[in-house]
Amino acid sequence: MSTAVDIILNSLVLGGVFLIVAIGLNIIYGLSRVMNLAHGSIYALGAYASATLMYLGANFFLALIVAPLLVALVGLAIERTVIAPMRKRSIVYTLILTYGLMFLIDGLIKYFWGNEPKFIKLPLFLQDTVPVLGTHYPVYRLATLFVIAATMTGLWLFLEKTKTGVTLRAASTIPEMVSCLGINMKLVHMGAFMLGCAMAAIAGVIAGPLYTIDPIMGHEMLIRSFVVIVIGGLGSLRGAVIAALIIGAVQTLAEFFITDLAMVIVYMLMAVILAFMPRGILGEGRFE
Amino acid sequence: MKRMLLIAVTVVVGLMFAAPGYALAADPVKIGVLVPLTGIVAQGGLEMKYGIEMAAKEKGKVLGRPIELVVEDTQIKPDVAVSKAEKLVFKDGCVSLIGVFSSGVGLALAKNIDKLKVPFVTTHVMTTEFYGMHKWVFRSGQLANDQTAVGNVKGILARPDLKDRKYYVLVHDYAWGHDAGKRFIELAKQNGIKIYNENFDKAPTSTKDWSSYISKIKASGADGIYIAFITNVIPVFAKQAFDFGLTKTSKIVSAAAPGPMELEEGGEACYGIFGASCWSWDVNTPVSDAWEKKFWETYKVIPSDAAVHSYVGAMHLLDAIEKAKSTDVDKISGALRGISFNGPYGTVRISAKDNCMRTDAVLTETMAAPPNPFGAKVAMKVLKIFKAEELGPPEK
Repeated sequence: MSTAVDIILNSLVLGGVFLIVAIGLNIIYGLSRVMNLAHGSIYALGAYASATLMYLGANFFLALIVAPLLVALVGLAIERTVIAPMRKRSIVYTLILTYGLMFLIDGLIKYFWGNEPKFIKLPLFLQDTVPVLGTHYPVYRLATLFVIAATMTGLWLFLEKTKTGVTLRAASTIPEMVSCLGINMKLVHMGAFMLGCAMAAIAGVIAGPLYTIDPIMGHEMLIRSFVVIVIGGLGSLRGAVIAALIIGAVQTLAEFFITDLAMVIVYMLMAVILAFMPRGILGEGRFE
Repeated sequence: MKRMLLIAVTVVVGLMFAAPGYALAADPVKIGVLVPLTGIVAQGGLEMKYGIEMAAKEKGKVLGRPIELVVEDTQIKPDVAVSKAEKLVFKDGCVSLIGVFSSGVGLALAKNIDKLKVPFVTTHVMTTEFYGMHKWVFRSGQLANDQTAVGNVKGILARPDLKDRKYYVLVHDYAWGHDAGKRFIELAKQNGIKIYNENFDKAPTSTKDWSSYISKIKASGADGIYIAFITNVIPVFAKQAFDFGLTKTSKIVSAAAPGPMELEEGGEACYGIFGASCWSWDVNTPVSDAWEKKFWETYKVIPSDAAVHSYVGAMHLLDAIEKAKSTDVDKISGALRGISFNGPYGTVRISAKDNCMRTDAVLTETMAAPPNPFGAKVAMKVLKIFKAEELGPPEK
């Protein structure tokens, strides 16, 4: 029983972190048709921004709010200087540019924060374990689940219940119509990029104390995020939620039961899903 | 008369330049340094570079010529390392190669050594495949997996708090990890140490989230954990094991020494990691203390085993070039065989029979550091010393 609880909670935490990063990537793709290869590095930047804020005296919860805002501003700068000038060109241009940007951000992280992994110190009450259905589970991991759930609920409310959210959703499927209605698409693109980067940063902030942070922490996460959005369907947020939960569960179960082949199983799953559903579970481009 | 003298000088100088293998006295002896400067072990790679630099500075000159280190980043990728080695030898004119982190990278280079035609001294590769592998391939500075396994098994047997435990074995999924896991299990079984999973677990080197493995260890009931991870990952695993409360009941024994900078980051979560290694800054001998002081003053980095291994290996190589009185591959290799160096961890000898190092080692446990000049909060406390003869292996 306790092992089953461990596995379920572990898979939710793992899938949840993948989800937040992948959702950010999907928002940017869904609204701007930009495949941001620097997204993993933005995730790392979020982790380092929170570490720096905490080093300067901020508590973890303040860092969780401020770091994504700072990273969103970085996202705005990237969108204006790198992405926007290439918007009318082929997607290949932004692919190459964001690929270069990934190395630039990694290099800057190394320059300013060094190469060695860093551990994020948490408040004492988050460092403990608590009994959960027969097992002792780290408080911070449970708090992570809460933050993931709150973030996703907030995002859902924003997209479903606010005028801006509705505009964003409309802009993803019928951008020409939205533009004809007098909505400034430039602002939509800027907002999408900032929101996507902020999501990556939130994931970076919560992942830091879970895994430690290092300058290339985003590389593996970028690959996993791609797996999530490819399985879920490019641009589909609901698809990403389903895919992230599947990937989290499959990886955790595989690591537990067939350890040596865990990652093979994850990629095999992706291959099987794509063989039967080439556009992912919920199809491409539906930004619900 | 003046004209005759001028002609004579011109002829002599011309002959000198024409002579094969001639180098001007001022031409540096170039040594190719291959270390990982990007990726997860970049900090370890940097410390390796520092150790080699320190040896080169201390030595000053070899064969009356300055020493020039040409450093290349292997990115811990075998194919990258091989192409960088080719560049170092064929383009830069390096007369030998030193460094290399990761058995996979080391083996790839060793397999290309006939093409490279220079001596290769690894200071960090632990695979047992290096014993007597090639006449131009050497290991210095670092213990091999079988030697570490002997140290760890002897350490476990000597410590009541480690002895009667059942060990769960978890390694990184590449050549070194597999070799380290296999060597430990073989030896542990021979000595009556209980192993939970003889078909040990292999985790990808990219693993960030250890929670599944920790849950598996918890479920197994094992109360000892034997890990063979890339040094920088050891504190990461220890921290997550600590977060799950696993380290309250289980002891960790490591096949590799954790990096001190990462231990500092991990703090209290990294206490209680046992392991056999060549050295820690808790080794208190005049030579060791002087080396630590100099290293700290030069680089302001806590002296690490990565740095000291590379320092010892570089001293071996530079001494061998002096002894060989040549930069010829066979002459340097001949001089390396059987060479000794008295360094921070005592007398370190390269076997004349299998080209691999023999030295004493220490069993350490990570714990709160006593006051120290480096401001370190975590120390690898020396618990026991093993003599080189105890660790073996026999020279064949």
